[in-house]
Amino acid sequence: MADLFDHYPFAQPSGGATPAFDEMFSGAGKVRPSYKKIHETLASMTQDELRGRTEALADSYLAQGVTFDFAGEERPFPLDAVPRVIEKTEWNTLEAGVKQRVQVLEAFLADIYGAQNAIRDGVIPAALVASSAHFHRAAHGIDPANGVRIQVSGIDLVRDEAGAWRVLEDNVRVPSGVSYVISNRRVMAQTLPELFQQMRIQPVGEYPNRLLAALRAAAPSGVEDPVVVVLTPGVYNSAYFEHTLLARLMGLELVEGRDLFCSGGKVYMRTTAGARRVDVIYRRVDDEFLDPLAFRADSVLGPPGLLTAARLGNVTLANAVGNGVADDKLVYTYIPELTKYYLGQEPIIENVKTWRLEEGESLQEVLDRLDELVVKPVDGSGGKGLVVGPRASKKELDDLRKRLIKDPRGWIAQPVIQLSTIPTLVDQGLRPRHADLRPFAVNSGDDIWVLPGGLTRVALPEGELVVNSSQGGGSKDTWVIGVDRTSTKNKIQTNSQVSSLVAGQTSADSGFSRQQEQQQQIQETKPNA
Amino acid sequence: MSRYKIVHTTGFKYEADVAASYNEARLLPVRDDRQIVFSTKLDIEPHGSSHEYFDYFKTRTLMFEVLEPHRELTITATTNVELRNPMPETPTLDWPSMAALVVSSLELTDAVAQTKRTSPPADLVRFAKRIAKTNSPHETALAVCAKVFSDMTYRHGVTGVHSIATEAWNNKIGVCQDFAHITLGALRAVGIPARYVSGYLHPSKQPQIGETVTGESHAWVEWWAGKWFAYDPTNDVHVLERHVVIGRARDYDDLPPLRGVYAGPHQSELFVSVQITKEG
Repeated sequence: MADLFDHYPFAQPSGGATPAFDEMFSGAGKVRPSYKKIHETLASMTQDELRGRTEALADSYLAQGVTFDFAGEERPFPLDAVPRVIEKTEWNTLEAGVKQRVQVLEAFLADIYGAQNAIRDGVIPAALVASSAHFHRAAHGIDPANGVRIQVSGIDLVRDEAGAWRVLEDNVRVPSGVSYVISNRRVMAQTLPELFQQMRIQPVGEYPNRLLAALRAAAPSGVEDPVVVVLTPGVYNSAYFEHTLLARLMGLELVEGRDLFCSGGKVYMRTTAGARRVDVIYRRVDDEFLDPLAFRADSVLGPPGLLTAARLGNVTLANAVGNGVADDKLVYTYIPELTKYYLGQEPIIENVKTWRLEEGESLQEVLDRLDELVVKPVDGSGGKGLVVGPRASKKELDDLRKRLIKDPRGWIAQPVIQLSTIPTLVDQGLRPRHADLRPFAVNSGDDIWVLPGGLTRVALPEGELVVNSSQGGGSKDTWVIGVDRTSTKNKIQTNSQVSSLVAGQTSADSGFSRQQEQQQQIQETKPNA
Repeated sequence: MSRYKIVHTTGFKYEADVAASYNEARLLPVRDDRQIVFSTKLDIEPHGSSHEYFDYFKTRTLMFEVLEPHRELTITATTNVELRNPMPETPTLDWPSMAALVVSSLELTDAVAQTKRTSPPADLVRFAKRIAKTNSPHETALAVCAKVFSDMTYRHGVTGVHSIATEAWNNKIGVCQDFAHITLGALRAVGIPARYVSGYLHPSKQPQIGETVTGESHAWVEWWAGKWFAYDPTNDVHVLERHVVIGRARDYDDLPPLRGVYAGPHQSELFVSVQITKEG
């Protein structure tokens, strides 16, 4: 019996709040065109059948070691069996919006750590930058070799009640989650193979090659064949799995702080064959722990002298030190103005309305409406410290009120957005659950490439709006479907591609040719735009 | 015009061998209109590689490392510098003009933001606010310096290198670093951009040419009301012919003379000696 959609609560405009946008259904029983094939396949399946497939899926995750540290316990990262679908035409807009966002953030960081024109021209207040905990004056004088500071970004997007996409936050420090995108795709190819045969899904396996190319392109000038390493805080870090996966897929050494040392302004890796010079470090260690001489003296996660080596141009740190100032949620509120200022463009994807608590009456307005707003610390990521007003207790709101009055610089407020929902397998069958999207962009200096799709995070409890995996959320594979007529690369997925994904290949064009590398070296010496 | 030779010797003694050490030294005077630096020399023993750069606050900074086992690390900075002292002009900006210019300058904004070190005592803030009501920013700053000088007693050994303004103010005892932090806190509290200056002071009011005396690392302040103006609250004097500037920043933590990390659990002991000779 096909019972997966039994009692599915189709969104009905009711007297009260606007309901969330359902990405699969436009009304009772009305399936949006992009989800037609998925709906057909699921509707023909029984709960038992789908559950049987997803249990196999969970087992394979555990076997692969794809786990997430949740409240101190290693759990398989819950991948939902129902993928999210984004039509290519819609994706093209998102892709352009993400590229634009990365361009603005790059321009902002180059300016803030350089001439500071946006401050002088009054586009962004000096006090905002000066008071950002992640504006690292120690990063002054480190000029990225190819002008890129944001090799990897995760720009978090949501869809509001009308289905419109909006930027929720920018992540340009050490954004994580791409390993789930890669792993999810492999597992989904096994879970719903019939759909992979029918649908034209943009592949994601190109990511490691794109990242490697961007890291190589960022090497100090004059380095022909750079040694690139992945620096991890170690096995106890919640994203350790991702660090190992990316290092393996890129064919790079995975190192910890103790494996590196600095001497004569250069960075070396200890190997059994002696010290080996390192040119580019894809670091997954936070700024504050990178160099005990410049930051926390008690850190053992990075070698002392690293910032000096970077300042001398002898090593490239990717992402750059000090990017966190661009993640500051108060800086976020200025991105629309900064887009006009640096690029002369209107933002392609709009922000969520945000209150700046230090301005005018806004603190009082926010305090008056605390029980209906979302309040976030400006430098939190992963949903840390976030308070959803309507779901908070009186005591939580009272505590929050005191903290906002004490430190209005430290917080922002936003309206509660009913994030769009996607059918998700829970105990009762398929039910709508709120989701967001983290597309990953890789900046090589010549091109900002956006991984088709990205990580869709879904909040598993009914009505829950906080989707972050560190808060116990799940994920969905994200399918960008359809043919892009401007691209010849985009071929219909065939069985052979499915099996190559299952076999663990990264993509059709794995490995690098000498010619490609030489091209990058030539491009590197061009003046930066 | 005065010429000085300054020999600043500092370093660490360890109770056992240290295999590696990485440090930053800020011991070299800045070059600017007021200071002509004829020569500087930095000797590090044991010898290691070193790199000089200008940090965010434009302080000449030497990063150096020692990668051989050692029990003692000594840095000797030798400088010959000439001070030119045109009489400082009195800054004349009024309160609203000053505030308007701070907003769009990161340098001035940094100079009005309190740090953990400068966070000021309430009674001193009340004093500064009262003066500010009827006086210009510059007059207010001079009055705060006079107040800090008259209320505080200069004495070694009560406060430490990590002391903050309020601790020293509560005891009314401290050294130049504390005087500077206290003054900065009060000036910033009324909106006057002010910065910490690290450098040297010849201890004698009438230095004898050719006589080598024991000096000190010194600290004083500068405030901005249209232009920067330097003052030494520890001695309640203008900064004229005896103060040599190393750098200017938000507080001590932005420009400690020597900071570093070393491998191993051993205890270390810091030593410092400054010899100053007026040469002309």
